[in-house]
Amino acid sequence: MKRFDLIVLGTGLAGLTAARTAVETGAKVLIVGRGMGAVTLFGNTIDLLGTIPPGTDIAEGIARWIADHPEHPYARTGVKGIEDALADFRGLFPPPYGFAAEDNGNSLLPTGAGTIRPTYLFPVTMAAGAAMIPSETLIVGFRGFKDFQGDTVSLHLKCRGVNLALPRYGLEGTTALALARLMDAASFRERLGEAIRRQMGGERFIGLPAVLGLRNPAAVLKTLEKTTGARVFEIPLLPPSIPGTRVFHRFREELIAKGATFLMGHSVSRANVKGGRCEGIAVENPPLVTEYCADRYILATGRFLGGGLWAEMEQIVEPLFHLPIFQPGEREQWFGKRFFDPEAHPIHRAGIVTDADLRPVDETGRVVLENVRAAGSILAHHQAIEEKSREGIDIATGFLAAKRALAT
Amino acid sequence: MDLKTEVLIIGGGATGAGIARDLALRGIPSLLVERGDFTSGASGRNQGLLHSGARYAVNDPEAARECIGENRILRRIAPHCIEPTEGLFVSLPEDGPEYRANFIRACAAAGIDALPLSPRETLAMEPRLNPRLIGAVQVPDGAIDPFMLVVENVRDAESRGARFLIHTEVTGLIRDGLRITGARVRDRIADKSYAIAANWVVNATGAWANLILGMAGIRIGLALSKGSMLLTNTRLSERVLNRCRPPSSGDIIVPNDTVSILGTTSLREDDLEHYEVTAEEVTFLIDELSKMIPDVKNERFNRAYAGVRPLLQSQEASDDREISRGFALIDHGSGSGSAGLVTITGGKLMTYRLMAEKTADFLCERMGLHVPCITHLQPLPGAGLGNTLRDRLLHLRRQTPAARGEILCDCELVPREAVDAILREGKVRELQDILHRTRLAKGTCQGGFCVYRLLGLLNELHGEQGSDGSNVVLRSFLEERWKGIRPILWGTALKEEELIESIYKGLFNLVPEEPGRTGGGAT
Repeated sequence: MKRFDLIVLGTGLAGLTAARTAVETGAKVLIVGRGMGAVTLFGNTIDLLGTIPPGTDIAEGIARWIADHPEHPYARTGVKGIEDALADFRGLFPPPYGFAAEDNGNSLLPTGAGTIRPTYLFPVTMAAGAAMIPSETLIVGFRGFKDFQGDTVSLHLKCRGVNLALPRYGLEGTTALALARLMDAASFRERLGEAIRRQMGGERFIGLPAVLGLRNPAAVLKTLEKTTGARVFEIPLLPPSIPGTRVFHRFREELIAKGATFLMGHSVSRANVKGGRCEGIAVENPPLVTEYCADRYILATGRFLGGGLWAEMEQIVEPLFHLPIFQPGEREQWFGKRFFDPEAHPIHRAGIVTDADLRPVDETGRVVLENVRAAGSILAHHQAIEEKSREGIDIATGFLAAKRALAT
Repeated sequence: MDLKTEVLIIGGGATGAGIARDLALRGIPSLLVERGDFTSGASGRNQGLLHSGARYAVNDPEAARECIGENRILRRIAPHCIEPTEGLFVSLPEDGPEYRANFIRACAAAGIDALPLSPRETLAMEPRLNPRLIGAVQVPDGAIDPFMLVVENVRDAESRGARFLIHTEVTGLIRDGLRITGARVRDRIADKSYAIAANWVVNATGAWANLILGMAGIRIGLALSKGSMLLTNTRLSERVLNRCRPPSSGDIIVPNDTVSILGTTSLREDDLEHYEVTAEEVTFLIDELSKMIPDVKNERFNRAYAGVRPLLQSQEASDDREISRGFALIDHGSGSGSAGLVTITGGKLMTYRLMAEKTADFLCERMGLHVPCITHLQPLPGAGLGNTLRDRLLHLRRQTPAARGEILCDCELVPREAVDAILREGKVRELQDILHRTRLAKGTCQGGFCVYRLLGLLNELHGEQGSDGSNVVLRSFLEERWKGIRPILWGTALKEEELIESIYKGLFNLVPEEPGRTGGGAT
């Protein structure tokens, strides 16, 4: 049996952050996940708490939020914990492709539905989106790429829009990933820049779907800005997320470089629990089942989409350790009568309740498994979708879980 | 803009469309108004079952004979709307052999072919059935596409001069003494009101009959019964599966293209605008139908929906299922002082053509015309054209990738060209109209992805209306979709709904509309 200091279950942003925090201390880490994690679906920017209005200092806003929401995951990490974790995250993305915030507060960035949305940290490829002036902006879509409706975006944002036809590249029915790979080729982005320049009518900003390459997005940005003479920005679109995929790749590269064992595409079929401790896990790689064990475990398997939670017809369960779950009432009450109910659907509050150390507890507050910690969206009492706090919770709790686990 | 016609038909369900076609074939002009799109009522919210009549054979032999008669006619005139699957009446141990014996006798008496099958034969035909079954009887049930049936009736009638106005609701009836001489209507999209003068007004609004009659101060005895259904993600059986026992709730599974429809419940309903499928009904249908196909317990569902049956009131019946499914044609002239107004209601999808025939016969008689009905002889215009999944796939395969163009809906392989063609025809007026006419949003994601891809096309349809930054079209689609999704959210469907919510509320920041708040919109 292979032995580690720490096993992280889940390859989303929470698991990646936990694993990276641990390898930094020299620990021997195994990270295992079924797929690429939700960061590759939605992780365009780093949301912290979208309910804080732009112009308000984020630390002050979060301190107030924690005071009002003592059960929220941020109440476990505290403002300082979030700041430390984010500083670590930013350290992983040195210039030219760095993440930044505007004036220590939230910024409003355009989306692929032509709406604007608040976020905290965003990559350099999106910076111009926060500064854009609609009357001086051209939105560029690609004919044949259905996951970014440039016309809709420009209509709602009140900008001018064009749909570029690039027949020689056969973009009919293309995907975000295919476009991003095309962008990685210098010849393509130069031609694209030229094609855009011919469509311009004096605009100073150019918005494109967030597909500006996987390998060197800053170079793509530079080429396009140089050719067009305008400031260029990426607009987040339907999953998968290319910016999120960049984050995933960067973490994986770093983890492997620092000696972590990275197991992707495998599901954990069983946890071996004895005397209030996890003694090992079994990883399914048909026809083989491999056992791994560690002194500590971090459960960062996400919510329903990631497989960390599962909804039976009668109740919500955590399928691996069968941990106690904060239940959102009977099935009839899980969701509001309207999709856009003023209140978030009650099911979003469901999840794992922990002690201050992020160890899962039962209804009486008793720690269930001494050497297991939970991190990320699987935690109870947040509403990441509505609050716009998904990445913040992942990074802050992933960081804290690793620190606390290794302190024991 | 006032209009004139000979016969004004209210209601664009199967009955109304059938009447328009019947009249057109007899050379009588008509104009049909429908409040929403075609089949917005019970015609679009049923199981899509081509009844053999066997279900009624024991309790209501007259209805059974009517059904098998219409079944044979529809196979002739509307083969492209039908999948001739056959049906089984399956006996489980608790159903006993006695009902089965009665059933076989009653089918024979009603003229319905009924072939008894041994358990072994039955399981060979439908391997997912409960292996404990004690036998089955094969009958000529089938699956029917009600929307296509209605649209085909409309198309045929239109080519013969009948007129149709969708999204147009009746706001009042026009009276001249003891006679109804037309109706006031409102175009709900353009918000314009006008009058339509007619010599005859036919109320074919099904469950809404009393809403129209109330405008003339009339009320008829109608019981409204809600029936809820569940749509599976895969096709569970090749044939229609019924329980071989007295008619009851949760006794039928109808295959429909790539999915199956589980039905139904029967609950009294008073509110025609706000009825929903409850969690209790969903649990009941799954528990009950998993007795027939055990796998139902593990099936992923795509959607739940309910329809309201208009049942003619009878004094002695205690249970809605015992009320006759027969129809009534009511002349409001003599007793109610509203000559020229006729109501046709009750009945079922299977008898829509017969109901239309009787209505047209009555009108002809009153007009002093002697023109026979030929709707049972004249096939619908698209008869002979293939429309099965196989046909659609073959069509796609024959096209080169370039000619195929963009596929808007990956679940159901709907090409952009199909939607463009509908838009070019110029008859659709809103998103739901497009969805009705294609298989868009009918697959596993229920439009979660393809509706975004439709937005570009919709901008053309709605023009500046959609440009206030509030994404009205997208929001109302998601809200409408939610009604069908919410009842089936657990397991895999719930997991996938987290993705959809994360996209629209998270990534795109569409937030609830609050007075004075414009969040989610452009600045």
